[in-house]
Amino acid sequence: MKRQKRFEKLEKRPVHLDGFVKEWDDEGLVAMRSKNDPDASLKVENGVITELDGKKREDFDLIDQYIAEYGINIANAEKANAMSSQSIAKMLIDPNVSRSEVVKVTTALTPAKASDVINQLNFAEMIMAVQKMRPRRTPFTQAHITNTLDNPAEIAADGAEAALRGFPELETTTAVARYAPLNAISLMVGAQAGRPGVITQCSVEEAVELGLGMRGFTAYAETISVYGTDKVFTDGDDTPWSKGFLASCYASRGLKMRFSSGSGSEVLMGYTEGKSMLYLESRCIYITKASGVQGLQNGSVSCIGVPSAVPSGLREVLGENLMCMMMDLECASSNDQTFSHSDIRRTERMLGQFIAGTDYISSGYAGEENSDNTFAGSNMDVLDYDDYESMERDLAVNGGILPITEDQAIKIRKKAAKAVQAVFDGLGLPEITDEEVEAATYGSTSGDMPKRDMAQDIKAAQDLMDRGVTVSDIIKALDDHGIDDTAQAVFKLAQQKICGDYLQTSAIFDKDWNCISAINDNNDYMGPGTGYRVWEDEAQWNKIKNIPWALDPQKVDF
Amino acid sequence: MSEVDDLVAKIMSELNGNGGTATKTPTTDTASSEPNLTAKDFPLFRKHPDLVKAPSGKQLKTITFQDIVDGKVDSKELRIAPSTLRMQGKISAGAGRSQIQNNFQRAAELTGVPDDRLLEMYGALRPFRSSKQDLLDIADELANKYNAPICSNWFKEAATNYEKHQKLKGDN
Repeated sequence: MKRQKRFEKLEKRPVHLDGFVKEWDDEGLVAMRSKNDPDASLKVENGVITELDGKKREDFDLIDQYIAEYGINIANAEKANAMSSQSIAKMLIDPNVSRSEVVKVTTALTPAKASDVINQLNFAEMIMAVQKMRPRRTPFTQAHITNTLDNPAEIAADGAEAALRGFPELETTTAVARYAPLNAISLMVGAQAGRPGVITQCSVEEAVELGLGMRGFTAYAETISVYGTDKVFTDGDDTPWSKGFLASCYASRGLKMRFSSGSGSEVLMGYTEGKSMLYLESRCIYITKASGVQGLQNGSVSCIGVPSAVPSGLREVLGENLMCMMMDLECASSNDQTFSHSDIRRTERMLGQFIAGTDYISSGYAGEENSDNTFAGSNMDVLDYDDYESMERDLAVNGGILPITEDQAIKIRKKAAKAVQAVFDGLGLPEITDEEVEAATYGSTSGDMPKRDMAQDIKAAQDLMDRGVTVSDIIKALDDHGIDDTAQAVFKLAQQKICGDYLQTSAIFDKDWNCISAINDNNDYMGPGTGYRVWEDEAQWNKIKNIPWALDPQKVDF
Repeated sequence: MSEVDDLVAKIMSELNGNGGTATKTPTTDTASSEPNLTAKDFPLFRKHPDLVKAPSGKQLKTITFQDIVDGKVDSKELRIAPSTLRMQGKISAGAGRSQIQNNFQRAAELTGVPDDRLLEMYGALRPFRSSKQDLLDIADELANKYNAPICSNWFKEAATNYEKHQKLKGDN
């Protein structure tokens, strides 16, 4: 065929490197409504759910059983499920109906009914609904802090910079699994050096991760995965009862946690039962609710390549975030894993959550260059900071990331790198040299760092676990080296774990260790003039307005 | 529901004493002596620091930075106490989140289980790891050794459901 020149040019655009597929209901390659999805139904007899979404109690699988037992507010269930989906959808966007009124209805719905409610909404209505339904009034976001060499000084420096830029939660993982304790410690120290009150996690295998928390190296966890079909749940090596128990294990050690789930995971793991991504995700959300976990990281998360390939896929992703909020759960709304080569689609991906505001708009904005992101790359990274901050300024939206000056960045990075240098010395870990501190201060990637002896680090990491090192030793190490403020911050974090305030829904700390959650900062949006408005949050708005690269017209010679 | 759980917990606790726990619980730390809190009492750190105690019963504010630096505080002291979890549960329920309260009540019971044993118990609930009897044995252990009746029931419930849905050892 003789090529048409415009089509030839279009095919060279980055968007053509992305994956797009047509729907296929029987394999679950459908975003919001599959022909195999059940119709909503509910029967309650003597306070027990005997029929759920087309299944009788004797036919329940393990997930149905768990949801029926614990996940639905039964007292209000018959009344709520008798309402039309359209009327519930209208409540979601009606500014005259408060969030708490809506939650009374939505927490009593069945998973299929909640899915049907989401199906009533277009994308703009979902944004309206998310603005009202996120549990915490003030939106924030979360960063990933990793590098491909697991360099501790760089983790601390990137963590401190991200903390200063406004992220209240930071998440690391490892390139080499056995680095886990070192990465966890480096990030915690860096975060407290950057801005006291920032909490940190290290995403590794479930039992290892809990072990790190028990020693006080982390403060929260979020990669506790749940799935929407019984077969995939089992393949994920858990059951609803094991995950529910794990949730209680975390709480028993004073550690905040949220579950993680997302559309597309069942497709990738091969057992969808032919159900839509939204319906399967609804089951994950209900499992979370049933477990008494305060929140959920959802919105496809690392499976974003699947929903983003099918029609209405990114609408579905915002829809599942909204459903999480309808269940009165903290929502860390994904926008993490990279999925598109197109800068336009990268922006599209986060648009709904960014404009509406969620508890954490991203649950992993790359706080390093994407080449160093060991979560396989995020939708946005540090090199997008100035674009992101410009968008916040243009639209007067609090996206949770603040501009800082180069001078501030250098200072805080050096402070954090020196703090972790002291901790490594105090704990008898392999030395972090002054050269490394300097490189972490001024560098941007692990390529800028001197190479460490990784075999020696790994050996030391194991030894540190064997010796039973805990957070007390870290406090001592910082104090011994005269790093008082960071030592105090790590101590205050340990105090908060005794107190447990931050186990409540959507909780974070400000720089003075005030715990801000959906309880004392509950979302009171009821239309214009209410809810969170960034220009009423003056300190935040002044920082967003005053991006360092804006000219001051009064000081410009014309 | 929660009051029943508290009552059961208290009776079990009295029947079994407090032996064998990792986190030593003072005898005064019973659910019935705790105040009724609501969402208005949040955050405890600012509003009721006097109610928050370390596992030994020591008041939160009396655990000082200097004590830690001087090595006078066991790291087990830097943990949440069962009474605090139950208070946080009341705050959750007061904010309309009864499932979170249920979770915190389970968690309160688990504060007494040592770290390694707790990780093993979690492992036992993973699919195809345990026979029905293994799960029932842990249920007994939770009830008798750790005064954890709610968690004991959790294991019994899992045993029944795993049998029905083929998640027991050998079912795969």
